[in-house]
Amino acid sequence: MTKKQFLSELKRKLSGLPRRDIEERLAFYGEMIDDRIEEGRSEADAVADVGYVGVIAAQIRMETPSGGRKEKARSKKLGAWAVILLVLGSPIWLSLAVAALTVLIAAFAVIFAAVVSLWSVFAALVGCGIGGAFSGTVLAFTGNALPGVAMVGAGLVSLGLSIFTFCVCCSLTTGAVKLCAAVVRGIRRLF
Amino acid sequence: MDIQLKRGLLDVCVLAAIKDGDSYGYKIIKDMKPYIEMSESTLYTILKRLELAGLLTVYTAEYGGRLRKYYHITRAGLGRIEDFKDEWREIMAIYQFVSKT
Repeated sequence: MTKKQFLSELKRKLSGLPRRDIEERLAFYGEMIDDRIEEGRSEADAVADVGYVGVIAAQIRMETPSGGRKEKARSKKLGAWAVILLVLGSPIWLSLAVAALTVLIAAFAVIFAAVVSLWSVFAALVGCGIGGAFSGTVLAFTGNALPGVAMVGAGLVSLGLSIFTFCVCCSLTTGAVKLCAAVVRGIRRLF
Repeated sequence: MDIQLKRGLLDVCVLAAIKDGDSYGYKIIKDMKPYIEMSESTLYTILKRLELAGLLTVYTAEYGGRLRKYYHITRAGLGRIEDFKDEWREIMAIYQFVSKT
């Protein structure tokens, strides 16, 4: 195992612990490996000498049992001054929050209006396509061959366009749903 | 060995390793090896604890084109070693009493 692989694996196994703690540990072990290499050992031997990454990670986690959770818990607790400032500043931050929420809702409304409009276009094209093909056929068989055929042709073009519109509608709908989910996740992370 | 006792002993061992001059992680492990085996994880925890207790300080210096952390014992750290020597005399006295009975 190379030094890079060792440190990468250790970082992965320590995920969830405070970032600073992880960085300090990685720097420490990196230094230990470098010192052994400087002594004349091969990189693989130096890494092996430091120890098995799984065992090291387990030991570190045992020493910091609530490591990651501790950091999250600390961030949720508000001091007395923070509460006072929040209350006093509420006319400002509350109105800003309402404005931001309104803008967000409006943006979502615009996106979904576009999606609904496109689906309406699809429905209209399908309707025109079927209607045109059917009416054109009837017309063609009741003595109006040329207009009838033209109408069938227009109906088929409509149906063709509807297939293209369907693909666009699906992509747009999926994209809009993913965007909403991402925005909701982002807002959740803030709190 | 009792965990708390072992922890105290290892702390003093690390302080003793840097008593005569600033040292770095790998050298500390090598210097202690004839007397006691210590893993990198254990050493890291001890160094952190000693730093928080003000018994040593840490600084970074360039060495061979890379940065290396060095550990320097403080006056409080030297005091801790002296306290340990005094405690050890007491422990020896207790040991002699326990061995006699």
